[in-house]
Amino acid sequence: MSTPTSAPATVAPAVSPNIWRPSGLISFLVIIVAMAGLPLVASTYTLTLMVPFFGFAIALLGFNLLLGYTGLLSFGHAMFLGIGAYAAALMTSKLGVRSLELTLLVAVAAAVVIAVPVGFLCVRYTRIFFGMLTLAFGMLFHSILFKFYGLTGGDQGMRVMRPLLFGMEFEGGKTAFITGPFYYYALGLLTLLGYAMWRIVRSPFGLHLTAIRENAQKAAYLGVTVSRMRLAAYVISGVYGAIGGVILAVTIGLADPEIVYWTQSGNLVFMAVLGGSGAFAGPVVGGLAFVLLQDTVMSATQYWRFVMGAVLVLIVIFFPRGIAGLFGDAFARLKRGS
Amino acid sequence: MNISRRTLMRGIGAAGLAAAAPGVFSPAIAQSKPVRIGILAPRSGAMGTVGECGVRAVQWAAERMNKDGGIAGRPIELVFEEETSPKDTIERFRRLALQEKVDCVQGLISTGVSLGVAPVAEEEQALLIMWDGTTQDGVKEAMPKSRYVFRSTDNECEAVIASLLAIKYFKGKIKRIAGINPDYSYGRNNWEAFQQILKRAGVEVEVVAEQWPKVGTMDLTSHVAALKAAKPDFIFSSMLFADLPVFMKQGSAAGLFEGVNLALPAAGWQINQLKKEFMPENIVFGHNTLYFALPNASPLQKAFVEDYMGRYKEAPHWEADRAYFALAAYKAGVEAAAKATGRWPKLNEIIESIPKQKVESLGGPGQFRADKIAEQTFYQGLSTNQNSYDFPTLKTVDSFTADQLQKPPGMDFWEWLKTSKLPV
Repeated sequence: MSTPTSAPATVAPAVSPNIWRPSGLISFLVIIVAMAGLPLVASTYTLTLMVPFFGFAIALLGFNLLLGYTGLLSFGHAMFLGIGAYAAALMTSKLGVRSLELTLLVAVAAAVVIAVPVGFLCVRYTRIFFGMLTLAFGMLFHSILFKFYGLTGGDQGMRVMRPLLFGMEFEGGKTAFITGPFYYYALGLLTLLGYAMWRIVRSPFGLHLTAIRENAQKAAYLGVTVSRMRLAAYVISGVYGAIGGVILAVTIGLADPEIVYWTQSGNLVFMAVLGGSGAFAGPVVGGLAFVLLQDTVMSATQYWRFVMGAVLVLIVIFFPRGIAGLFGDAFARLKRGS
Repeated sequence: MNISRRTLMRGIGAAGLAAAAPGVFSPAIAQSKPVRIGILAPRSGAMGTVGECGVRAVQWAAERMNKDGGIAGRPIELVFEEETSPKDTIERFRRLALQEKVDCVQGLISTGVSLGVAPVAEEEQALLIMWDGTTQDGVKEAMPKSRYVFRSTDNECEAVIASLLAIKYFKGKIKRIAGINPDYSYGRNNWEAFQQILKRAGVEVEVVAEQWPKVGTMDLTSHVAALKAAKPDFIFSSMLFADLPVFMKQGSAAGLFEGVNLALPAAGWQINQLKKEFMPENIVFGHNTLYFALPNASPLQKAFVEDYMGRYKEAPHWEADRAYFALAAYKAGVEAAAKATGRWPKLNEIIESIPKQKVESLGGPGQFRADKIAEQTFYQGLSTNQNSYDFPTLKTVDSFTADQLQKPPGMDFWEWLKTSKLPV
């Protein structure tokens, strides 16, 4: 399928996945292939940065199902990162279950159990009200993690032990594990979940979400069950968030309340905006750019937060469709030129 | 390759000259490459000013040591990264260890962050000497057998000393106690330790109020009102961030401190912000391991404090001492191992050597125990406003060594509190 890429930007808002659909999966696969070959050329340290990126990328794919496709901006999405992280801590540290596959299943189950009631309450509202409600639930979860010392370790969090991958124990230090087998495991997960998300957004369900985003009332007239669809999107995005949280927690070796703090939710929004929430692979690109940018700026100056804030302001003002939008425009110009 | 007699004689002459010159001949004679020390310190947020004090001190220490030949003849080069959340700090640590390839990482103040970084250091086999961070899970040591991680003194030391001094100075006047402590494990354990020590000393008290403000809360009026309503005669607060001056200011305005005695075991961190105008006198005031105005201070401390106060127009606090101690302990360990082996020592040799060295730090002598937990000198006392500063100093200085204030290796803290021979 081919759709015109020269649609005027003024007509389409920042969120316009139709423009990027043909190239979305290809862009995503390009990133995956590049990441698969990265261990051949990159330093060990760079690889240690990429694994958290895989975690963020998975969470962002889910986050973008809400933001880019359903038009719901969640300000409390880090809650699901926390659900995944604490599931990993609970399984590996408290229960002694080191199978990562089982941990992922538990994280997914926990995410569903929490996302259904929370989503049920949140999706009845849109725009700022949805954002505020999700933020409130996120901070409520943060308070629970912070206050229940006996259960969660309070501010000190819980250790996440090195898991078994497909039942296999790997020798060597943590860095060797993260940059070796776990790197490819996380990349494999990202590939699978990315493909699953591609299928979701192109399915009738995905089209329903897009219709809801464009005009919920009209969609309802056409027979779309708006609340149910939004709830399903919220639950799916929560599941992706929890899986991303497991990846992050294994990499860090710790689950702590900071991972669900509102600033972490803000980072997810930043990544999505940076990459461009209108494109399928945009948030993934944004996640990669964010991780690399933050790493560079943090080492260069102690005023890194100021720099990151300035970057966000510039992107919102001058490049509202993010990095993916920039590339899309350049690609369209090239195509027109040829 | 043929070596001529003249070349050989020139070489022997050069070696002889080098050997004769004091401070020049060292195992590192052939190594001009700097010793790279990674520093992980908070630079913003609630702990920003605290981290900055440590950063200034480590810069001062490196400058001073470099003038004196660096570490075993190699100059010190500092590489800074910021301590933030556990996740980001672990990444910064990995950057220092893997990318910057530093010889040693020092810093860390938050125990929450330290608990995340320490296992990574062990797994990376990278030397980490913490300033103020511990690996305590609550009061329990989570890494009793760490190899690469050197930790600060236990978190509860200042609460133990403040409790002992409260008994020493106010026994008979403590009947109704109230606590306002930060809402995290440090605050909760300190408050519990205070009560346990009172019990141990046979001081029967009634707990009339417990307040747990979240770190960074800047409106404490409701907490102040709750404390005032409870009518305590003694308030114990281990608040230590920017919220402590706020509490004192709001408490003073509300008349909370009239007829009430106080213990502030960690107040030294906020010394410059605790202005006389709202600070009552006779507070059990904690300066931890550096009291800047110590009457019988060492020439090292005097030189540092004079330079610091001249340059930054404020008093340094204990984070400066922790930062200095970490670098000095590393230097002492390397140089002792270098002397023993006659070459630049390997990491394992440095690790073995550090706990054997007694170090003169800014606040006094200190040493790492065999289990790699620091033992340093602590200072607290009763505060006075009779001085030339705009904040309180101590009118009585009580000093204790950490072996009197912290549990021995492998022992449970609460059990130790019940059975140990406490110094007061």
